[in-house]
Amino acid sequence: MLTGPIGAAFVFLLAVLSVLVPLILIASRAEGARRLAVALIVTASFAGCVVAVSSFLRQPGPVLDLSRATPFPFSLAVDRLSAFFLLLVCAVAIPVTIFAAPYFDLHYSERRRNWTWGFFSMFLLSMIVVVTAATGFAFLVGWELMTLVSAGLILIEGDSTERRHNVFIYLLMMHVGAAAVAACFFLFLPYSHSLDFGAIRAACLGMPGGIRAAIFLAAFVGFGAKAGLIPMHLWLPRAHPIAPSPVSALMSGIMLKTAVYGFVRFAFDFLAGGPWWSGYVVLVVAAVTGLLGILYAIAENDLKRLLAYSSVENIGIIFLGLGTSLMFLAHGAPLGAALALVAALFHAFNHALFKSLLFLGAGAISNSTDSVNLNELGGLQRRMPFTGAAVLIGCCSIAGLPLFNGFVGEWLTFRSFLAGSTLINTKAQIILPLMVGILALIGGLAAACFVKTFGMAFLGRPRSTGSEQAEEAPIGMRVGLALLSAGCLAIGILPGLLLRPLVTLVQVLVPGAGVPEETLSIARIIPWTAAIVLGTGALVALFKRRERIARTWACGLPGLTSRMQYTSTVFSKPIRFVFARVYRPDRKVEELPADQHYFPVSISYRSVRTTSYERALYRPFVDGVVSLAYRLRRLQTGNIQVYLLYIFLALVSLLTFLRFQR
Amino acid sequence: MKITLDILQVLMLILGAPLVHGIIARLKARLQRRRGASIWRPYAELFKLLRKEELVPPTSSAVFRLAPIVLFGATVCAAAFVPVVHASALLGSRGDFFLFVYMLVLGRFFLSLGALDGGSAFGGMGASREALVSSLAEAPFLLGLVAIAVLATRADIAGMVAWTLEQNIFNISAVHILALTSLAMVILAETGRMPVDNPTTHLELTMIHEGMVLEYSGRSLALVEWASAIKLHTMFALLIALFFPWGMAFSVSGWGVVVALLLYCAKTAVLMILLSVIESAVAKLRMYLVPDFLGVASALSALAVIFTMWVKR
Repeated sequence: MLTGPIGAAFVFLLAVLSVLVPLILIASRAEGARRLAVALIVTASFAGCVVAVSSFLRQPGPVLDLSRATPFPFSLAVDRLSAFFLLLVCAVAIPVTIFAAPYFDLHYSERRRNWTWGFFSMFLLSMIVVVTAATGFAFLVGWELMTLVSAGLILIEGDSTERRHNVFIYLLMMHVGAAAVAACFFLFLPYSHSLDFGAIRAACLGMPGGIRAAIFLAAFVGFGAKAGLIPMHLWLPRAHPIAPSPVSALMSGIMLKTAVYGFVRFAFDFLAGGPWWSGYVVLVVAAVTGLLGILYAIAENDLKRLLAYSSVENIGIIFLGLGTSLMFLAHGAPLGAALALVAALFHAFNHALFKSLLFLGAGAISNSTDSVNLNELGGLQRRMPFTGAAVLIGCCSIAGLPLFNGFVGEWLTFRSFLAGSTLINTKAQIILPLMVGILALIGGLAAACFVKTFGMAFLGRPRSTGSEQAEEAPIGMRVGLALLSAGCLAIGILPGLLLRPLVTLVQVLVPGAGVPEETLSIARIIPWTAAIVLGTGALVALFKRRERIARTWACGLPGLTSRMQYTSTVFSKPIRFVFARVYRPDRKVEELPADQHYFPVSISYRSVRTTSYERALYRPFVDGVVSLAYRLRRLQTGNIQVYLLYIFLALVSLLTFLRFQR
Repeated sequence: MKITLDILQVLMLILGAPLVHGIIARLKARLQRRRGASIWRPYAELFKLLRKEELVPPTSSAVFRLAPIVLFGATVCAAAFVPVVHASALLGSRGDFFLFVYMLVLGRFFLSLGALDGGSAFGGMGASREALVSSLAEAPFLLGLVAIAVLATRADIAGMVAWTLEQNIFNISAVHILALTSLAMVILAETGRMPVDNPTTHLELTMIHEGMVLEYSGRSLALVEWASAIKLHTMFALLIALFFPWGMAFSVSGWGVVVALLLYCAKTAVLMILLSVIESAVAKLRMYLVPDFLGVASALSALAVIFTMWVKR
């Protein structure tokens, strides 16, 4: 199965990331060794892209079977769905690695650098194993490795108590998710008798409805925890911001997509659609996730936390597409299901591009200014024009503006909602078109959020000396940013590049679908609109223009200062005010001295969001478990007679059980 | 022939836009017992601004200079989606209403960025308020259009208009009334007219759009003002095309087009009179009542979508 150059490239990819790079880094701490390791990672990722593209075009792709060497069957195979996600992983890995090279050099001591690169390579490997796994065992190995290695990468940056606490929550929630995923495989086992994906797929046809529903729910919970669906998103805004920026880019850009991959693999490939209510469940959870995610994002002032919450929002949009697709499947409308699935997968790819672009941009900002607090930034566009241009492209993409790639994914989702009106004799024909309103609200808030993000960080006057003295990012970082923003622009203006292969892929997942007409029409129209916008823009830019730099009139004061500008906090105030019920802010105003109300020396103001999922959802659960444990502790008295009594009782009850079973 | 007419339609929306602004200003002046300026004044203003030197704040970057150009380009592109004299438009049959609405979002996004790049307090104030209004206006805007699209079973604006043309004027349903009401409310918000924003104010307590363009001058200001005029005109044309298209030319024949053009002017005149009456009679809403206003619009448009279930056969 591993024949020809493609098989060789696949083995090269795995061997480099798993063995070669770690070995080089263990063997030598020299600068040259690290350079070699970086070059190898980039080459391997490029080989991965080649493998993905060629096995997408010509099936079957390479299969690597290691079952003889491992205790359980372990094999990797690249079918069309795997190839798509393999391309996603490898294509994003290249620019992130190029960016990370100067970033890690500037931020870490020699010894840590080697560890970081070793983990970095293993992290990529784990994600590749997850998306190419062909047996349950391989999948779970990759899944677990991915969690552990990323936790390691977070801890390399430091190990304060708070960081450890956050990592602990991350690990805990990931393992709950992993348990649910493992449970799925065990539910399959009695019917498939093997963990091989092919056997599972075949067994699904003959499984009873109850088991299928249970598998669907377990998969939704398991992958939902990894993807960060609300209320299982708790770890995401904790873990992503504290990782080094290139690692955040990998976590938000790619790692979340492995959860999307897993869900698509289970719900569409194995189960071929869930029970009739599955679409509704996914749709509701996704709508809540999208809406709350963007509302929390807009209230954030920490750039990386803002981006993390925006990842929650985008996962919401992706699952809106998946839920719609399930709904169409349940109503026996494969064409609509195909459209919605294309929308979800397309948005997943785009989110990988622009979210890693933005996280890398945040890395470049923190590298130049030592801050990612939007209230301390400003004026960076004049100081770092290249980074600014790249981040602007990322912001336009994520805000879903036409001519950028984020728009096309949202547009496809919109159109699949609209296509829901063609269903007959079901409430879905109203519910789906109404979801347009929800997605429009999400989109509108996202636009507001990223006006704020870009405006506060890059425009106006600098709000701190750090941003006043900022300098352009080093060349390696700029190359990484340029590659990703070029990807965003290319797919934004020529969406057909990615849509055509996706339609082919979806034909496999949704049998009998045909080509949704919308995917063709958007690919035709976008270049025309781009031509009109750019043409008109170029035309009016030709008008003669004279320019003079003049200070803005400051109402008679000596001049404007940066303190007179709107800050990030103030910018989002109207929206926070309107949605106060969502945030439930807890405000504290302290005046000093307290007795002089009209002539205070200093006033301090603090406002904290109090919608805490820990307090409302997790705390009661944890308290319940702990109190149950306390109650069970009474069984253990330490008295040997009591333990003998337990044994006797156990024996008697077992014998009784056996007696009546016969 | 058809493509010529399509291009002429776009040019008409672009070049006629300042006139619409001028007439509305004149009508408002008359309603307020003033004489008012000539209806051609906006053209004179544009020519003046285009010739003038531009003053730029020292802290601003390339985004400040780029924003008006993108705004203008995106608005012109949006205008190319709307049929005026016949049920077709340059992009009207290939692009759909989602693309139309998001083109306007693209322009607004860049205008807000330009406002923030000015580095003064007012730009941020305008951008922040605009962020609130526009993020809440998007949902009712799209839902109102969805209601019509569901009835017409088409998503392209030209197709929706062609479907409406085939209906009997007396056969309109509750869906149309609800969608029309909500879209009209949204258009007031989107184009920054009373009761949401006062286009004539420069008072920092109330201004939204004017706050954003405060730092602009010369060519950039001309482009911003022209773009907002085009936006208003395009919105009028959209309302007419979706809800009162009767009279549009079915085929590209000389007389049909002339009649359609005259009827279009008459319909626009009615809308202009309505707008100036509203602007003279209604007080501006407090900033935090605007979400309620848009909430009503959202509820109406959601109802419109729900009612399609019974109207659709």
